[in-house]
Amino acid sequence: MVQVVFEKVRKSFGATVAIPCLDLRIESGEFVSLLGPSGCGKTTTLRMLAGLEQTSSGSIRIGDRDVVDLAPAARDIAMVFQSYALYPHMTVAENICYPLKKRGVAKAERATKLADVAALLQLGPLLDRKPKQLSGGQQQRVALGRALVRDPSVFLLDEPLSNLDAALRAHMRAELIELHRRLGKTMVYVTHDQLEAMTMSTRIAVMRDGVLQQFAPPAEIYNHPANAFVAGFIGTPAMTLADGLLVREADKAIVRAGALAIDLPQALAASLPAATPSAITVGIRPEDVAVGAGPWAARVRLVEPIGHETIVFLDADGLSLTARVTGSAALHAGETVAFDLRRDRLHLFDKTDGRRLATVPSA
Amino acid sequence: MTTRRPNLLASLIAWPLVLIIAFPLAWMLLTSIKPAAELFTRTPQWLPRSITFEHYTRVLTETPFLQYFGNSMILAISTTVLVILVSVLGAYSLVRFRYRGRETLAALVLFTYLLPSVVLISPLYLMLVKVGLANTLASLVAAYMSFALPYALWLLRSFMAGIPEDLESAAMVDGASRMGAFVDVVLPQALPGIISTALFTFILAWNEYLYALVLVNSDEARPLTTGVMNMLISAFNIEWSLLMAASVMMSIPLVILFAFFQRYLTSSFGAGGVKG
Repeated sequence: MVQVVFEKVRKSFGATVAIPCLDLRIESGEFVSLLGPSGCGKTTTLRMLAGLEQTSSGSIRIGDRDVVDLAPAARDIAMVFQSYALYPHMTVAENICYPLKKRGVAKAERATKLADVAALLQLGPLLDRKPKQLSGGQQQRVALGRALVRDPSVFLLDEPLSNLDAALRAHMRAELIELHRRLGKTMVYVTHDQLEAMTMSTRIAVMRDGVLQQFAPPAEIYNHPANAFVAGFIGTPAMTLADGLLVREADKAIVRAGALAIDLPQALAASLPAATPSAITVGIRPEDVAVGAGPWAARVRLVEPIGHETIVFLDADGLSLTARVTGSAALHAGETVAFDLRRDRLHLFDKTDGRRLATVPSA
Repeated sequence: MTTRRPNLLASLIAWPLVLIIAFPLAWMLLTSIKPAAELFTRTPQWLPRSITFEHYTRVLTETPFLQYFGNSMILAISTTVLVILVSVLGAYSLVRFRYRGRETLAALVLFTYLLPSVVLISPLYLMLVKVGLANTLASLVAAYMSFALPYALWLLRSFMAGIPEDLESAAMVDGASRMGAFVDVVLPQALPGIISTALFTFILAWNEYLYALVLVNSDEARPLTTGVMNMLISAFNIEWSLLMAASVMMSIPLVILFAFFQRYLTSSFGAGGVKG
């Protein structure tokens, strides 16, 4: 069983602190995505795990070994790079066999393992080619093959799909999920693409400015974002985040945002902590806006038909809302529509620190 | 691939240039195989009426040509080997490692190259005398390194900067040590650059005249450039036939080197980075 544990890991480059203090515990066999905007420290985290970057302090354990002082070669990991990093002067076969060769695996065994990997990734006809002669997707496969051939305890993947075109990316995503299921190995995957993180991961670690924001399964991250940043970062189109004012009247709690006065449902109001400030941030997912009927009216600013759904941008008296409508909606920019909100699905955050205030009891 | 139509204008400029540059070389070759009697005819003879190799035999048997040739070989090869050894590792260090003064060091290296070599001769000579190397081949190796090394460092530095760091990272994750990754991945990638740098250094050392003239004045340590001049050009007479024969033989090693490595020279300056 191979867990990966970061304990109080700190990383600074000179005077710049990239990662102040990271604690992260990845269970054996998990597929964990490190997700965040560029510069959030996700790649640095992965490179520290790989041993390509020194930690400034703290410990990293792979299995029961503290690997902080081990060279990359000694960590029993394999890594797939964003650039694939195939050795240009070696053939596909030589590329894949390089990790075996470096570990002194006998020639006959190398050939067997190469054949296995080639069969798994359908690389058979390409083995004698040089990386330059391969397409992006094929290079990707070779990079994957080079990682797979050694049967390491942890796989590290650094944005491996970002250089592929959209169709191929979707295809490789499915293949990676399949591969993870089949191998059952611990995989750590760095991406800035939330779709990849949401579809592939058992858990997602959302990072920002070197700080872990939330570490939870995809559904949890989507439905119960820990703070306003995660809420805004996850989900396409993005969640509407608006300044609001929380007003308590008798046994009711009312949120005012723009011209809207939203009466909070009992369950939600009850879960608000007693010391809730009045200045809050209200988060509304596009699918929680029902267009067509309801107590409020808004002007349609823009309509984006996608086919299976339509994204509608609304302007409700100074409050900009994004709504998601199933199918194609007969809406036009400029007209006024009625709308309603799924009040039990509202997300409330502290306006000053962005912290999530209330958790809706799951239905 | 379709063949491109030759550009007429470019040809009109290029061919006369080629002819002008090639003329002395052709004349050198022709003079070296003409009998001495044909050298100074009133209307210059293009093609020799009879071909003779006596000048070659005379240079080889009656003069210390072979000794000079050997000196030049030792000189050029040892300079090249040392310069490549130091500059490959130095360039790698300048590109990959971060340490205090790295950029300053790189700039200083270039600065030394900006000084005209004449300026450096006297101090260098005095220093070499002090360390007891004066009048030896080693003194020339040291002198040549002093100006070949900065250039080689800069050439290789820009070359190595084009090698993606990911390649080394990948090799290290795959089980190589840093040195192993350097040998397995960086060196093969840098090979065209290393070869062209080596070629440059070799030519520099092979053709150098000024330092050889000043720093060395015994036949034991004299390279071809000054040796040939010394033995065939005196105040009263220039042995043209022998001089030309010696010049032809001097050029042969370079011609051979170029024939072998020319493709690296042309490919190396364009290529650099390798997309993974």
